[in-house]
Amino acid sequence: MGGYAGKILYVNLSSGVIEKKPLDMGFARKHIGGLGFGTRIYLDLIKNNPVFDALSESNPFVLMTGPLTGMKLNGVARWTVCSKSPLTGFWGDSNVGGFFGAYLKFAGYDGIVITGKAKTPSYLFINDDTVEIRNAEKYWGKDVFTVTDQLKEDLKPETKKGGQVLAIGPAGEKLIKFASLINNKGHAAGRTGMGTVWGSKMLKAVFVSGNGKIEVAQPEELDVLRAELKEIYDESIGISAIHSSGTATHMDVGIISGDIPIKNWQQTDWDEIDEIGPSMIEEKIFAGHKTCYGCGVACKKNAEVKDGPFKMEKGPGPEYETVATFGAMCLNPSIESIAKANDICNRYGMDTITCGSTIAFAIECFENGLIDEKDTEGISLTWGNSEAIVKMVEKIAKQEGFGAILGQGSQKAAEHIGGNASDFLTTVKGLEAPMHDPRSAHGYGLAYAISPRGACHEASLTFEAEGGTIFIPEIPMLSSDLPEGSDERAKLNVAAQDYGMFFSNCAVFCNLGGMPLNATQAVSLVNYVTGFDYSLNEVLEIGRRIWYLKRGLTNLFGARAEDDKLPKRLMTVMEEGPTEGSLPDMDKMLAEFYELRGFDKNGLPTKKVLEEVGLPDLAALLNNV
Amino acid sequence: MGMFKTSEEFEKVIVGFFQLVADTPLIADKLLQSKMVIRFKYSDPDLTVVVDCAGDKALVKPHDTTTQAIVEMTMSADIAHRFWFGMVNLTKALTRKEMVAKGPIPKVLKLLPAIKPSYAMYPQYLDANGFEQYNITKAYKPPTA
Repeated sequence: MGGYAGKILYVNLSSGVIEKKPLDMGFARKHIGGLGFGTRIYLDLIKNNPVFDALSESNPFVLMTGPLTGMKLNGVARWTVCSKSPLTGFWGDSNVGGFFGAYLKFAGYDGIVITGKAKTPSYLFINDDTVEIRNAEKYWGKDVFTVTDQLKEDLKPETKKGGQVLAIGPAGEKLIKFASLINNKGHAAGRTGMGTVWGSKMLKAVFVSGNGKIEVAQPEELDVLRAELKEIYDESIGISAIHSSGTATHMDVGIISGDIPIKNWQQTDWDEIDEIGPSMIEEKIFAGHKTCYGCGVACKKNAEVKDGPFKMEKGPGPEYETVATFGAMCLNPSIESIAKANDICNRYGMDTITCGSTIAFAIECFENGLIDEKDTEGISLTWGNSEAIVKMVEKIAKQEGFGAILGQGSQKAAEHIGGNASDFLTTVKGLEAPMHDPRSAHGYGLAYAISPRGACHEASLTFEAEGGTIFIPEIPMLSSDLPEGSDERAKLNVAAQDYGMFFSNCAVFCNLGGMPLNATQAVSLVNYVTGFDYSLNEVLEIGRRIWYLKRGLTNLFGARAEDDKLPKRLMTVMEEGPTEGSLPDMDKMLAEFYELRGFDKNGLPTKKVLEEVGLPDLAALLNNV
Repeated sequence: MGMFKTSEEFEKVIVGFFQLVADTPLIADKLLQSKMVIRFKYSDPDLTVVVDCAGDKALVKPHDTTTQAIVEMTMSADIAHRFWFGMVNLTKALTRKEMVAKGPIPKVLKLLPAIKPSYAMYPQYLDANGFEQYNITKAYKPPTA
């Protein structure tokens, strides 16, 4: 077999016991990898006691790579993390690129399962067969950049060829609810507060170094396909665009269709939008290209601000979501301030989508008189006030004053602020919506509503299919030309979930770097690397099972039909612009989706459907809730 | 059969509009800064138009097959028509090869902010120049005999 490293690492931080368990290839075949492994392992760990707080030692944390992670191929550097979310209280997961996943496999591990809680700040040292829980007192309190550099320097004598660090910053230590895990200073597992889980476990970092390599089961077939794909990648306009300008290229495209939320989702156009577009990024902050392991797409960009109030040294630059949250959402036309806000989030370890959205929410509260400068300690939190926005990011990161309120996320902050603050929320299941407006593409609305982890454009491939970045001719719903509106969007979501679970959750293809791939090519890549002989139907069945697993886990944590809805703000009709008069028909789409997925009126998958997809234990658990 | 029955008919509409855009300083100034030269190759009906921003003035050149273009965009006349209403999902059209582009495409994408005002101009241009029947933003009723 190829692709897999062959072992999974189990680390109990309470007892200090470390186990290296061989990867069962029957299990691998049935779950592929990534969140396929992660969700199943997680459920098995908690099913005897599924009621616990996300910050308790009962909450496991699972990090899993995919079978292709670590290959020198475009769009396969990614890996996944999952746990119960401290931000939402529901299921949490995140998907991230960078180098850590590849190095973990070179060390001989497909993933790490972390349970328990350390008594003192700790880090995990992995150097091939040597795995140790070590004291991290000297690193605790340090920002992500510092701990990354220090660990690499301190551990250099013990390793042959250096290593990779995955770390939390002070935000995770202080249990800010949207803390992220960061590899290489800028590759963030940002959403749902997975860094907060590490903070609660007193786990500062994992250092990994490895000298192994990944075997390929069918190298000749892979080489032929690789040559075929080279031509496809060379001709891909999407790849060309993100290589040139990064994901922020969407600022120029998304504004045409009304996809970019502006002024906390109250506008779809703004005179100053070009100030934060790709041309200005290139002119004012661009400082070179970056990439993930083995990927020639190189969609990441460095940024640098040489002088002025937002001065920052060269480091990972803001991506589209970050530019939109700290920029368009806050009517902030200063790209330098956005780069600075992004830099603070990377150093302290915070999710930029939740952080920026929470600040936009707070600005609206301020502008409407629900809070004032007494609350914000003198910060005039008004639309477009770049300095105030950056100051508030710092206050959140340090948990100072009002920053400590916002550090709980916008939903908790709305409860604290009171009045009609909840009218300004953009959350589903407690997770702030990403920067793509369902009023411009109704399928996104359903995708956000029924995503197990809350409002998310990457919880399936609906965003890519309806938005147009992917074209999967083998799957009719992912290649048909749907009319505008809400018709057929339930079917689209089901197809995008089943294929998406295979593509970007289990095989862990990158939704950007993998966008030129059709299904035949994606399945073939997995088969040639692993030696399995998956058919498209089989990977879709696996994807479907994993989707139900995620849904069931979020149901186990309390999510019900009333949580499958869009906030009032996203369901407000725009009176002008590209989305004028357009609103997703949520009742229709949800009813059709519930029918297609076999949900009862409470939003729970029926026992029958769970047994059909091979999850009888989950069915039994949900029956007992 | 697309919306435009003959090349001549389409040429009147699209070349006239391109000329209007070229004469609109708000847009043309930004296009001229880019120095971009684009050849549009339309089908159903066939037409080739070059928009040349390499000099001091934006030039619109129908039937030009000799100017060295930096970027070549190929699409149907109907897709082009819908694009100028802001009704085409550009990402989807490029992914599905309804629009095929050759050359440094990121440079073209960066022109999108510059041409954004033209989406509002197009229906007005159609109405003002006797092309109301092509204005798909309003329910058009053909004149009765």
